[in-house]
Amino acid sequence: MRYKFGEPSGRYIGHWGKYHVYADSISEIAPDGYNDLPVHKMAPGEFNFQYGPSTGGLMESVGITLTTPGELINSVAVDPSYKARSLKLKGKSIGEALLLVERINGFHAASNSLSFLMAVEDALDLEVTVEVQKARILQLELERIRSNLEVIKRLCEPAGFGVPTNQLGYLREKVSRIISGVAGHRFFFGANAPGCSRVSSSGINEKLSEVGQEFQRLYAGLLESKIFLNRLQNNGVTKDSLLTGPAARASGLRYDSRTVRGELPYMETPFYPVVREEKDCFGRFCVRGEEVLNSIDIIASLGSLKETVRTEIPKGSGEGCARLESPQGDIFYYVQLKNGSIEDLWHVSPGTLNIRAFRESMKGNIFTDFHFNWESFGIWISELGVVIQ
Amino acid sequence: MFSYIAIAILGISAMIGLFQKKGAYIGILAGSAYYIWSGFNPSDQMSYFVLIASLVWILVSLYSLSYDRHYGKWLASSMALMIMGMIIILQSTNYLLLITGWETMSVPAYVIVGMNKKESAPAFTFMMFSEFSTILIIAGAVFAFFATGTLFFTQVPSFGPLLLISLGALIKMGMTPFMISEWLPIAHGNAPANASAALSATMTLMGVFVIMRMILISPDVTWIGFLFLAVGSISILFASIYAYISENMKMLAGFSTIENNAAILSAMGLYLVASEVVLKQFIFATIIIFALSHAISKTGLFFSIGNSPGEYFGESDQPTSYTQRVGTMLITMSLSGLFPTLGGLATWMLLEAFFMEAYAGGVPGMSAIVIGSVIALGEGMATGSMMKILAFGNLFHRKLEKKQPPNHAVISGIGLLLIFLFAISIFIVSGTFISGIPGVLVFNGFMITSRFGPAVFGLISPDYVVILITAFSIAAYALFRKPRLRDVPVWNGGTVEVDPYTSYAYSNNIRLMLRRVLRTKTGAFGNAVTVIDVFWLIMTDIGKGYRAVSKFITLRVMNSSIGWYMIYMIAAFLVMMLIAVLAY
Repeated sequence: MRYKFGEPSGRYIGHWGKYHVYADSISEIAPDGYNDLPVHKMAPGEFNFQYGPSTGGLMESVGITLTTPGELINSVAVDPSYKARSLKLKGKSIGEALLLVERINGFHAASNSLSFLMAVEDALDLEVTVEVQKARILQLELERIRSNLEVIKRLCEPAGFGVPTNQLGYLREKVSRIISGVAGHRFFFGANAPGCSRVSSSGINEKLSEVGQEFQRLYAGLLESKIFLNRLQNNGVTKDSLLTGPAARASGLRYDSRTVRGELPYMETPFYPVVREEKDCFGRFCVRGEEVLNSIDIIASLGSLKETVRTEIPKGSGEGCARLESPQGDIFYYVQLKNGSIEDLWHVSPGTLNIRAFRESMKGNIFTDFHFNWESFGIWISELGVVIQ
Repeated sequence: MFSYIAIAILGISAMIGLFQKKGAYIGILAGSAYYIWSGFNPSDQMSYFVLIASLVWILVSLYSLSYDRHYGKWLASSMALMIMGMIIILQSTNYLLLITGWETMSVPAYVIVGMNKKESAPAFTFMMFSEFSTILIIAGAVFAFFATGTLFFTQVPSFGPLLLISLGALIKMGMTPFMISEWLPIAHGNAPANASAALSATMTLMGVFVIMRMILISPDVTWIGFLFLAVGSISILFASIYAYISENMKMLAGFSTIENNAAILSAMGLYLVASEVVLKQFIFATIIIFALSHAISKTGLFFSIGNSPGEYFGESDQPTSYTQRVGTMLITMSLSGLFPTLGGLATWMLLEAFFMEAYAGGVPGMSAIVIGSVIALGEGMATGSMMKILAFGNLFHRKLEKKQPPNHAVISGIGLLLIFLFAISIFIVSGTFISGIPGVLVFNGFMITSRFGPAVFGLISPDYVVILITAFSIAAYALFRKPRLRDVPVWNGGTVEVDPYTSYAYSNNIRLMLRRVLRTKTGAFGNAVTVIDVFWLIMTDIGKGYRAVSKFITLRVMNSSIGWYMIYMIAAFLVMMLIAVLAY
């Protein structure tokens, strides 16, 4: 197994139950200050404003409680339990488990299923061809493009920018159709298996190039809009270093699982971690915008990829784990197999750290900042609400 | 002559009050009613102050009959004495009577404010400002005596008495020093509700009356007009902001009083600045209508607050009396400057006056536009604060279970009175501004026109406003009857936990937006948001500085030193002589 249980080593990735995952190890020791989020005491004049779980303006069911004396937000509590789903995975075969794992978060199905499969491959000590690894990069980057387009679109919505919102929605749809052509499904369902990938990249570079050009125009237009930038700049400034994904990179931290050698061969592509220093919504917006363009370049460098032949899944035993850079940050899967069946499985979603960062960054902001800040983290509650059985 | 009988009735009522509280209030009622009969002359515009004040006292005595249960025998007597002082002011023909009335009014008011035994500071604050006000009025009277050779109100050749007495009167109106004085909301907010109404509605009215009297016997001094405009407009803005953010309902009403008085002061400033005779007449009519509107509405507002179980929004309950809620709604509408209440007409006339002066051009015209805009802004903010009182004091929160005192009928009566006064305002406004357009069925005598020359600038027909609103309401009811209502539980994102929206949250936007002005701090002293009243801060700092200097001189320099004391006395005498000679 690539990761060892023991003392904390490397940057913090997240936790599942008692386990805390670091860049190089799994530990039961939490990082300093992780459990010390200050408890807010209600001050005179404050009240709790409940937003969600079932309300307009939120993509998923999530209960958000804003403690406020009016306008000003002094404390935020996020309750993802409204979307709790029990997934019975233990005892299932790898193929059966994969069907459920790729449905944990359909929008990030490639990140979840590939991370799971790579953990399985680690457990079974399977060798994966370069062709398959490239096909996985193709999927992850396509997913990143679509996800980032969606986040930027949702950043435009609360600003009342109807035109760019719909234009970005149109681009997202174009990317979804490209994905459909590549993988045979808009959410990569059924496109992967241990050691193989049934995706084909023929003819996608021209289509993606068009998407890139259209996006560049939109992105430049948004960067010129003072109204839009005023809503993002100095909104939701992150303060600590327990960050992941675009939120970390927008805070000057070079946190990106794609830089890790041995997972996927990103170093053979024009990939570079987009790092900004703003720490606010604007920084996160820029990171996502530039990553869309970088992902298109990465895909173009992969060359023509064809479907690989499906291999027989060995019924072995062992434990393994894998970490990938999903569009919202590090996603981690731990798998323990026994005779080809799932003995134990857990995962770490980037949403945990992102919610924590969101809560801290929201303090001192006002109501109208809320949506911009929430959307800028690109949090998917569906990953957090999963209870694996 | 007959009017002095009213003073006697009030004096007797004060004595009766020591033994029989209700008797004192009946005496105030009788004395006030008699005073209207003997002292009000529709052809004398200054006598409208008699009508306005007496109407308020009648309402106060009616309300007090069932309010004054928690206070001892001194409240009724002090109220009678205070009102007696005000009648002396209104009846005064010379400066000595004016000063006598001013002190007779202030001393019982100090006792009333001091009746709240929880805190002694408000009463002392009130007394300090009152005495400062009296000193300025005495100085103005001395100045006038030197200038005219008599203590009677005759034409004064100098601006000095107008300036000094106006500054003294402005203190009583809560506007000097530093444009807005929080002493007024503190003092008026700490008195019993019936007395707060009398203080806020009529004591400040005395200030308006005295300034207006001095304006009429003083030369037209434009710069004093501009001074009034500046003080008035700044006060309107800040008073309306502080009213909006206030969590104490009585203090909110107190700030609202400053805001209304500042509007009247601005009108008086415009009166001094304006050169057009017709416009001056219109402004005078505006001052009367505004003063009437403010006095009646504010009286009703304090009564409504007085019927609440607590003075803070957090302690308020929705009154069970439907009529009280309707009455409060009409009162707050009037204080928001909305039709069909008298406040709507007052605000309309005030803004019309300013925008007509804009045609004068030059500095007066430009000032009128700027100050008119500031007044409009302040009125908008005032609407926000009145809606706060209406919503959080009367419409929201749980229902008051206990039986309400019968005085809620007075509150609803005041609400209706404001509509009635609006409807009959054509009889209050000077005939110069009454006309009609028979061609569109607005007959002569039913329309108030604003004008500064032969041409009409703006127009309104109060009766038609009332008739049309009533007619359409009845027609809608006749056609559709009472709407079918369906109560549904509040949707709160799918959860059952519902924290009520607070009055504090309602006004927090202004605390945050004006953080530089209000020195807004978050998280200080265990509070979510705190603000500082910069005017009050400066005032208390100066007070503390003065006290420190006085203490130093008293203890370190003059202590047991007859020599230094003699030097001090001689210096003070010389300074006073110098001032008197220069003024003369």
